[in-house]
Amino acid sequence: MPVENVGVGRLAAGVDASIVNRLMFIAAFIVLTFAVFAVRLFQLQVVEGEDLGNRARRNSVRTVRLEAPRGDIVDRFGRELATTRPAFGVQVMPAELRERELTLAALASLLDLDPSELSERVGTPKGRRRFQSVRIARDLPYDSRTRVESHLYALPGVFTDVSPRRYYVGGSLAAHVLGFTGEIQIEQLEKRSFADYRSGDVIGQAGVEGRFESILRGRAGGRNVVVDVAGRVDEVLDEVEATPGGTVVLTIDRDLQRVAEDGFLPDVIGGEEKHGAVVVLDPRNGDVLALVSRPAFDPNSFAGGIDSASWKRLAESEGRPLQNRALAGQYPPASTYKVFVAAAGLEEGAISPDDRLFCPGFFRHGRRIYRCWKRGGHGSVNIHEALARSCDVFFYQLGLKLGIDRMAFFANGFHLGRRTGIALGNESAGIVPTRAWKERRFGEVWLTGETVSASIGQGYNLTTPMQLAVAYAAIANGGTVFKPRILLRQAGPDGTVEQGPEPESLGKVPVSPEHLASITRALEGVVYDQGGTGARARIPGVRVAGKTGTAQVVHLKNTEGLEEEEIPFKFRDHGWFAAFAPVEAPEIVVVVLAEHGGHGSSAAGPIVNAVLSRYFKSSTPGEPPRRPEASEEAARVVRN
Amino acid sequence: MFGIDRRLLQNFDWMLLLLVIAIVAVGIINLASATHVDDALTGEVRRQLFSVGVGGIAMVSVLAIDYRHYERFATAALLVCIALLAATLIFAPVIRGSQSWLFGGRLQPSELAKLGLVIALARYFHRNPPGEIRRLRELARPVLITAVPVGLIVMQRDMGVALLTLLIASTYLVFTRIPWRSWIGVAVVGIAALITLWMFALAPYQQRRILDVVDPGRDPLSSGYQAIQSRIAIGSGRLLGTGYRAGTQTQLRFLPTQHTDFAFSVLAEEWGFVGSCAVLSLYLILLLWGLRVARNSKDGFGAMLAVGLVGTIFWPLAVNIGMVLGLAPVIGVPLPLFSYGGSALVTSLVGFGLLLNISMRRYVF
Repeated sequence: MPVENVGVGRLAAGVDASIVNRLMFIAAFIVLTFAVFAVRLFQLQVVEGEDLGNRARRNSVRTVRLEAPRGDIVDRFGRELATTRPAFGVQVMPAELRERELTLAALASLLDLDPSELSERVGTPKGRRRFQSVRIARDLPYDSRTRVESHLYALPGVFTDVSPRRYYVGGSLAAHVLGFTGEIQIEQLEKRSFADYRSGDVIGQAGVEGRFESILRGRAGGRNVVVDVAGRVDEVLDEVEATPGGTVVLTIDRDLQRVAEDGFLPDVIGGEEKHGAVVVLDPRNGDVLALVSRPAFDPNSFAGGIDSASWKRLAESEGRPLQNRALAGQYPPASTYKVFVAAAGLEEGAISPDDRLFCPGFFRHGRRIYRCWKRGGHGSVNIHEALARSCDVFFYQLGLKLGIDRMAFFANGFHLGRRTGIALGNESAGIVPTRAWKERRFGEVWLTGETVSASIGQGYNLTTPMQLAVAYAAIANGGTVFKPRILLRQAGPDGTVEQGPEPESLGKVPVSPEHLASITRALEGVVYDQGGTGARARIPGVRVAGKTGTAQVVHLKNTEGLEEEEIPFKFRDHGWFAAFAPVEAPEIVVVVLAEHGGHGSSAAGPIVNAVLSRYFKSSTPGEPPRRPEASEEAARVVRN
Repeated sequence: MFGIDRRLLQNFDWMLLLLVIAIVAVGIINLASATHVDDALTGEVRRQLFSVGVGGIAMVSVLAIDYRHYERFATAALLVCIALLAATLIFAPVIRGSQSWLFGGRLQPSELAKLGLVIALARYFHRNPPGEIRRLRELARPVLITAVPVGLIVMQRDMGVALLTLLIASTYLVFTRIPWRSWIGVAVVGIAALITLWMFALAPYQQRRILDVVDPGRDPLSSGYQAIQSRIAIGSGRLLGTGYRAGTQTQLRFLPTQHTDFAFSVLAEEWGFVGSCAVLSLYLILLLWGLRVARNSKDGFGAMLAVGLVGTIFWPLAVNIGMVLGLAPVIGVPLPLFSYGGSALVTSLVGFGLLLNISMRRYVF
């Protein structure tokens, strides 16, 4: 309407026609400009409106993830091994800093940081980045935390937060059982089984943490919130609560675990820590009561993400602390292997309990001389004495009589040479050599001289401590090979309890109970007989059976004639000790491997002794009770 | 001559006044939403209401004196404005990179200078009626009248206002008859000036802002941030708007300077296409009405002054809405009558006082 008015209106006295003309031009220009604005508004609000509206919602509505607290890991008596603790963090939001330099300087002094370094980390971001907070600390020690909190009111722009952090109560205690957590790896994220994980999620990366991730993880909840430009929550729209992870109850006995680990402490303060492994099983059901690998690591150092330098140091350290020696370490079983040869000999009728063989201290086979560990020889020994005194010559002869393949058949019968299938992963299979194996492996014919070495557990034979423990448990329980069990039960956050897998039999050993009984008597002789090699395992009140072993690391000629202390550490022999008790009704099997520890008896014996002593220590007040139902349950399984 | 004639009241331009009141009222309602914290009136709203009062008194005062008297004081007024501009260069503190406020932030002389400039140019073009211009030298006077205040504003480092003042003055180019050959000359000089300006006078952030119009996604978190958030706010208004005080972009402060430069984005978000078109229509009617006043004025000075006053509203509006809609670079130019800001509002109201003045004295007595 006004447009016409400009043109049609009454001519005023002072305005000439040319000016009116120009005014029309201006009016047209203005109308055109507004037309452009209207078209643009139509484009933004009607055509692109939906899309831009969604962007506005994305701006302001944020889904905040509510992390599920990770479940605890406890021992068989409910004592905490791994739990979750709050970690106290500090952030700075640049947009909210009032007196930037003053505030940052004060914060630096509270946190013992360099002020200029802190100032550099915060920087002076522009635009929306000012609203992105800069993390200064993730896990403050308690005293810094209280200092910051008590000054927070005077530090606008400084915020604190609390986030859950995995905490391993015993530090490195049972580190190889528990494993560790860490941020999910890029390769894992690409796999389908990790489809519901997001980058930055903490996930169990090894051991129980990795294997039972699905129990421990829980389910993250979410909360839709309306946030302002600074990310502050303005309104909570809705919320799905997080479901905490379930508790994993392990078969581990924390006390036994600690006692077994303490056996590897240095002899003198500041001395070198000893290397090796311990496996403690309940022979009645395969429960793993303790599992030690030394040297160990502290999984707490992984909990907040480990820097690559520390990781490299751990991974490349000479002692290889990340390797689980009890499952992945393969060692010559040495004399501990003799029980399987003895079982084979008795079962095959190659020898009877009364047969005697003569040991002059050496054995000639072909052009080679094989020595007994005892230079003077054992004289005439039967199988009981040969086991008790660990006579090598007796077993050279028995092994030759049996042949490598029949020895292997019985070793396999005790589940050697195969993975035990324990739910921890990264297990080695060991080696039980046969003719066919050598043919396959090297394309060479088996030599009978190799049978001689094999009959005392040297040569190609390799065993993991866990395999040996499973095999000795089978001797102890009368012939059942149990799959080692680590998960006793799991408890849901709602209190529901689900029992772990039933004790699982992997089969029966191909040896009659009478023969197993006579082998057990011989192993008792190892500990109690005159001349027995395992006297160090004796404990008061309980009869113990066991077998020592000394695994040669390098060929004898390098070290022959040297006293043990004179042999360089890495050339020293590995010491084995496998034991179970009480002899009448075994409840516990202990296998100790002391790397480069020298003789089995002296190196590994004290650890066996400590573990057995702890286990059989009469229950003192405050002590968790031994599982009374365990023996009944196990007895039932064994009877079946 | 100072008495209010009854005939003047009869001829009073109520339509123009109503349009102004309507826009100012919508602006204050919008300001209340943009600065909304709780249900109390915010400090900004109170200060803006105070400015409306001051502006209203100034408007009535300007109205009382026949506008033809102002022609005589045109040169003096321009000189006062120039003096004030010069004074800011000496006395004013630097606030956000520019130096443009006097008396502790209560007066922005560059706003007043627009009025002074318009009066001076109106006087010039009234006395030198449009005719063929053969030499550029003939434009020396108006160019000088424009160049001195603009130069001083540039020296205050207030590029947005300098550009605006230049645009307002350029309104009068319509009344010169420059042959097309000269336009080519002007264009060449203009482009050369723009390139020089880009390379030497514009700070990097100013260059970025211009580039952001071409591609706002270039750097969404810093320099293009305002443009993008403004577009999101406007778009999320859709057809009918999110409702008063319900725009998330506004209420959660995603919009930058939402009560001043981006006030229109707030309106567009909360009132939608319908609401923003309605307010733009008010402006369109107001501007065309201003041109009608020019056409109906009884003398050349009134016509020239009215055109200049229309320019003082149109150009900031075009630059502001263009910026808000992502069609022009982000220049800190408020929307006249609508955005928060006392000096601008008072100056605008004084300008409308002049326009009402011309309108009600349109008959020769």
